[in-house]
Formats: sequence, structure tokens, C-alpha cells
Amino acid sequence: MTAATHETRNPRLVTLPSLPGLGGLYAKGVASSGRIAVTRSPVGRALPGTRDVVLPSVVYRVTDVPTSGVTEHLTDYQRLIGERVCDTLPAGYLHVLAFPLATALMVRGDFPLPLLGLVHVSNAVSVHRPVQVGDVLEVRATAQDLRAHRRGVQVDLVTEVSTGGELAYRGVSTYLAKGFGLPSGERAADEAPPQRIDEAPREEFVPPVPTARWELGSGVGRAYGAISGDRNPIHTSALGAKAFGFPRTIAHGMYTAARALAEVGAARGDAYDWTVEFEKPVLLPGTVQVAITRAPDDGAHPGTDAGFTYVGWNGKSGKRHFSGTVTPR
Amino acid sequence: MAIRKTQQPTPTPSSPQQPPALRDAYVLGGNRIPFARAGGKYTGASNQDMFTAALEGLVARYGLQGERLGEVVGGAVLKHSRDFNLVRESVLGSSLSPQTPAFDLQQACATGLEAVVTVSNKIRLGQIESGVAGGSDTVSDAPIAVSEGLRKALLKASHAKTLGARLKAFASVRPGDLAPSTPSTGEPRTGLSMGEHQAITTAAWGITREAQDEVALNSHLNLAAAWQAGFFDDLVTPFRGLTQDQNMRADSSAEKLASLKPVFGKHLTPSAPTHGAAAGGDAGPAQPVGPTMTAGNSTPLTDGASVVLLGSREWAAEHDLPVLARVVDAESAAVDYVHGHEGLLMAPAHAVPRLLARNGLTLEDFDVYEIHEAFASTVLTTLAAWEDDDYCRTELGLDGALGSIDRSRLNVNGSSLAAGHPFAATGGRIVATAAKLVAQKASETGRPARALISICAAGGLGLAAIIESADDLSTTPAQSTES
Repeated sequence: MTAATHETRNPRLVTLPSLPGLGGLYAKGVASSGRIAVTRSPVGRALPGTRDVVLPSVVYRVTDVPTSGVTEHLTDYQRLIGERVCDTLPAGYLHVLAFPLATALMVRGDFPLPLLGLVHVSNAVSVHRPVQVGDVLEVRATAQDLRAHRRGVQVDLVTEVSTGGELAYRGVSTYLAKGFGLPSGERAADEAPPQRIDEAPREEFVPPVPTARWELGSGVGRAYGAISGDRNPIHTSALGAKAFGFPRTIAHGMYTAARALAEVGAARGDAYDWTVEFEKPVLLPGTVQVAITRAPDDGAHPGTDAGFTYVGWNGKSGKRHFSGTVTPR
Repeated sequence: MAIRKTQQPTPTPSSPQQPPALRDAYVLGGNRIPFARAGGKYTGASNQDMFTAALEGLVARYGLQGERLGEVVGGAVLKHSRDFNLVRESVLGSSLSPQTPAFDLQQACATGLEAVVTVSNKIRLGQIESGVAGGSDTVSDAPIAVSEGLRKALLKASHAKTLGARLKAFASVRPGDLAPSTPSTGEPRTGLSMGEHQAITTAAWGITREAQDEVALNSHLNLAAAWQAGFFDDLVTPFRGLTQDQNMRADSSAEKLASLKPVFGKHLTPSAPTHGAAAGGDAGPAQPVGPTMTAGNSTPLTDGASVVLLGSREWAAEHDLPVLARVVDAESAAVDYVHGHEGLLMAPAHAVPRLLARNGLTLEDFDVYEIHEAFASTVLTTLAAWEDDDYCRTELGLDGALGSIDRSRLNVNGSSLAAGHPFAATGGRIVATAAKLVAQKASETGRPARALISICAAGGLGLAAIIESADDLSTTPAQSTES
């Protein structure tokens, strides 16, 4: 795809003493985002410092992360999301836990995109085995696959959680930096129609029969921000949201995806894949029409569980907010 | 007859007894207070007030003052935590012997019928000789809880050991936390109200507005005619100035019902029916159905309470009480509605075929059908499901359609659309009505009469029961229900 991907082939392993706190990282992210914004170039042009448009070739690692003390925080998360209160860390919680390490990568001086203004466009998680309260974790984060997109560039932030030396969780969070380009971007755009670079043209969305409705209050962004540590102002402050072009605060995408995961319930099993694609943001307060249904059995794999598909949309505009799948492994 | 005084010895058998073989349990009578519209005549009356009023009316009618009954069982759907012993407290407030045990149970709208099933099962097992089953619900006096934030702060403060810790707990309270949390009719797992769930089922089965309005109109006319005929004279005790069901509109008409605006299903994308005759076939391609459910063909929120007196044949004879009907059998069911596989209120469609099969009966073998009218369309989707060959095969595991019913035997004295539906009180209303109907039918025709009762409930639950006229006193009580 691009030169950037090759740079991450033999990344340097950097061991941090503990998981960083998000609050401080956001302050740093604001500063570096400002710096990048100042030098940022228009669409179709190269990123700042075009000769060095590469992702930092580094894997952050924290070992011996204890979870024995998370019970109260985990319970708050489970209550907010609608997960069953138990000692298993749901995938959305592991995302929250590993998120600061990924953020630490994104606020490095040599990370080529600004933290603020990055749009979380999709997320794909695999839970290989359950993580329990009391497990000692190793958490890793790296950035990879910087690639052109018709509206900018995309990058994957990959986080992994292992217990006892075995991979338990792998999450791939895809972010879009609008208005950025790659040195090779113009060439890629010439070779193929823009929409074929990274996505197929979206089919017309016809709302299905809803199975649920979420009434999201104005405080949902602050509540998830407090628990996840992701206090991006677009979620927590009306003024912050306006600064980024939203009329009101917006719900965290991962809150909506995690809630859909929770509402699949026990049928997801101990090990599962969980994906989401985000489209129109959910403005707060707001009502989301939701359909969570068993995926049609295509007959290709008899005896296996095809899992669930879910979609959330605005009942008035008919616009899709998010869609995804939950599939037992 | 037993000597009725407050304190009675509670005799213990002097020697071990063999557990008796199953015997029959009978409905001996029933009583309720008229059902009131929410915010109407019963404003300020609690569940306990209403349950006690219904119970006292029963005690007065059947001369049970001071009587130690085997058990009183009932519940309320909207129940305050302080009412943990709602039924026992009602017993203590009644003229029954204070030595009458009691317990609460709750199965959403099936609470009252489940109480009847529970008491009759105890009687059938020989554990008790007599009992009362019932339920009470009030929307006007519904419990209101504090918000989660305030609740957490209050709990933290009550556990705090120092003033400082208490102050710190209260400091976490935000202004928004002071808004109370009121009970909602939304399903906890979906956030959709019961009406919105049923609107989805209604559309899937292509049930028309006209068919629903017809069910609603019949409910009002039938209930009004039954009141007029004095049917409820020995089933209802006036309460707080109300002598008839407040929601009943004897002057209702098809035109009036047709003039009401839809209230549920307004935000559904119109789509073609997926079930039943309306889904196509001979009738040609299916047409998308818009919203059809109005306040007229949906049950209003109501306050009220009802109780049913049950007993063994021997106990009834000892107390000179008539027997109305035998409780034959019951079956509960639940459906997977959370992810839209089945309609929220369709569980009775699943319970009834199993109940019929166990008792060697067909859907046609009944003189009376009491299908709870949560919504007019609940009745119609249930009937449509039983008539649908494909649905009965794939969803119910039957060889084909379960069958049709003679609609002139359906809810003949009105049902919840007209009477109202104070959730836990509906089962008692229906059982008492059905028991009296089969008793009347049997005495008119000289042949046994049978009633099928079906009640849908929140949570995808459903409960169905069969009762039969208690014909001949010479019948041996231990007769098997299997034929």
C-alpha cells in the first residue's frame, strides 16, 4: 500500500513502567495537534514533513498490569453499558483499558497525525479468551497501515492484551485524519476512483424493524468520558463540540458499540469477534433506533453460529449511526 | 362449619399421613373492586388498600370472617419495596384469621393467573384445603424511586461512619440527580414500550385497524351488557364511590373508535406483513401497513384489585359453598423477543398448543375463550398465528395450523380493553368471570363446559389455563385430567 506500512516491519519494543493516564496525554495531544494543524497541508497534498511520512516504528508495552483492584471501576462500566455485572472484563472494557497506551503513541512528537480531530471510523476486536478480574495483563499498542482514503488518511491503532503469555484480546481501531494526504496519495487517487481506495460505495440504507430504542441523555458523553478516560471535548462539552463543528455533544462511538455488544448478551459466548463501523455521530441528547438480530445462516458453515448483526439509526432522518457484528469464535 | 374466632388452634396430625393422591382444586368464587382509570377515583389508594378491599368483599360474600385459610397468594407489578409482604399485610388488615399465611408473587401481567395456578396446585397436592389468589395494581399510586446518582449517594452516606464521609457522599450529588425515576412501561432489555413492541407484531401479521377496532368495540359492548345483565353483581364490590368499571364506554361505536389517531408504531418504516394470510399467497402481494394501534384499541392504564377463592371439594362442602369450576391445568411459555425473533406478547400462542396436547384437547373443544386484551391486536395476532399453517409448523413444532375458534365464544363478557387492565388484577378478573361463565353454561345445557384462558405478559411471558365446570358432586375428586 504505502511506504509507511513497511516501516513497521521490525518495530522497536518500548516497555513503559505503567499504563499512562489519559488526562495528561490529552493535554499533550492538544499541544501537538495544534503544532500539526499549523503546518498541516490541504487535501491531496503531502503531510507535514513529507520526506518522513511514516508511523513511529515502535510497539509500546506494559507488563504486569494488575486487575485485582478494578472491581469498582468495572462495575461502573458494566452498569453504564448494560453489561452483566460479573468478574469478566468485557471487550469494551479491555478497549478502555488499553486505550491510553494507544493514545500515548498518538501523542508522540513523531506521530504524523493530530490526536484531536482524528475520527474513529471503525473498530474490530477479537476476544480469544476471557480476561478475569485478578488476571495479570501484558498490554501492547502499535500504529500501522497508514493509508490513503478519499477524505484523508487512515491509520490503525492495534492494541493487544495477553494473560499468562497468551493473547486474549486484539483490537484494531481505525482512525481517519480528514484533509491529510500521503506523498503517494495523488498517485493512488489517479489509479483508482477515490471511493475505491478504501471503501466500496455504500448502499442505500433502509431502516429495518427495530428491536430496541436507546434514549440517550445529555450526560452520556460525560459519563462514558469519566469511565473510559476519553474526555475528548466533543463528547463532554457543548462548546468543545461546537469548536469541532457539531451542534451538540456527541456520544462516544465505542459507547454505542459496547452497548450493542452488551445487548447481544450471553449468546456471544466467552470468545467472540466484535466489529463496528461508525457513520453519522449520535448527537446528545438523542434517540437511537436499534436492531440487533441473529445473522441469517448462510448455510456455508452448517452447525456454526453465524452470530449477530446490529445497526443503529436516527428514526427521523433515517441516517445510519453505526453498524457491526458480534460473532462467537 | 368451623367456629369462627380470631384465635384458632392449629391442629397437628397425631400420626404421619400418606401424601394424598392428586385431587381437584375448584374455583368457588371471586371478587374485585371496579377498575378505575389512572388518576381517577382510586388516586391515593395503595395496592394494599385495594387488595384488602377486594379481599374484604370476598370475605363478606362467602362468610369467611375469622377463617384460617390455607394460603393467600397474590402480588402487584408496580410494587414499592416497602410492600415486601403486600399480601400478608392485606390479610392482617382483613377479617380473615390473622393465622392465615400469605406470600407475594409476581409474573408481570400474568401475576393473578399464576397466583391461581399456585394456590390450586397446593390444593391439588393436599398441602392446603383452601386459598385465595389475586393481585392488585395502581398506576395512580405507583412507586417513584430516586435517581441512581442520589440513590448511590444516600447509600454511601448511610454506610459512612463520620460526618465528613457523609458530607463527601452528598457532595457527589448533581442537580440532575434530584429528578425522580418513575416506573416506565418500557421493556428493560429493549427500551421499547409494550405498545411499540406490539405495533411491530401487528405489522408483521398485517392486522388491520378495522379488525382491531371491532375487537375493542365488542369488548365495550359485551362488558356493558354483562353489567346490565347483573353478571358482575356477585363478583364486584364497590370501592371509593365507583360501582362499575370506569373505563367502560357503553356508548362506544365503530365511528368513534375510527376517529382516534394511532399512538403506537408511528416511527416504524411501513413494511409488508411477513406472517399469515396478509403476507401474500392467494390474497396477492402484501401491502405495507401503516400504524393502526390507537388509544381505543389499546388497554388504558388502570387501578384495581381482584381475588379468587379456591378450595377442595371437601372444604367447599364443609363451608356450604358452591363450586363453580375445576382448575384443570396450566402452561407457561416464554419467547425470544429481545432480538426480534418473536413478538413480545406472543408467548400464549406457544403455551396453548402444549397445554392442549397434554390434556388431549383441540382448540375447538371450548365453550368459552378468555384471551386477555392487552391490545386488540394481541388477540388478533394470537388467533392469526394459530390459523397459520407455516407458523404453526416452524415456530410451534406442530403438524399444521392449530385451528380457529368460534369468535362468538371469545371474551363474551368483555375483557381488558373495556374493563381496563390493572396488571396483576387481570388474572383474577378473568378466572372469576370464566368460572362463572362455565358454571352458567353447564347449568343451562346440562353438559360440562370448558374455558381456555390466555394471558400475555411483559418479558415475553405467557400463561394459559383450562378450567371446566364443576358438574356433578358425585364425581370422584382424584380423576385424572388425561383422557
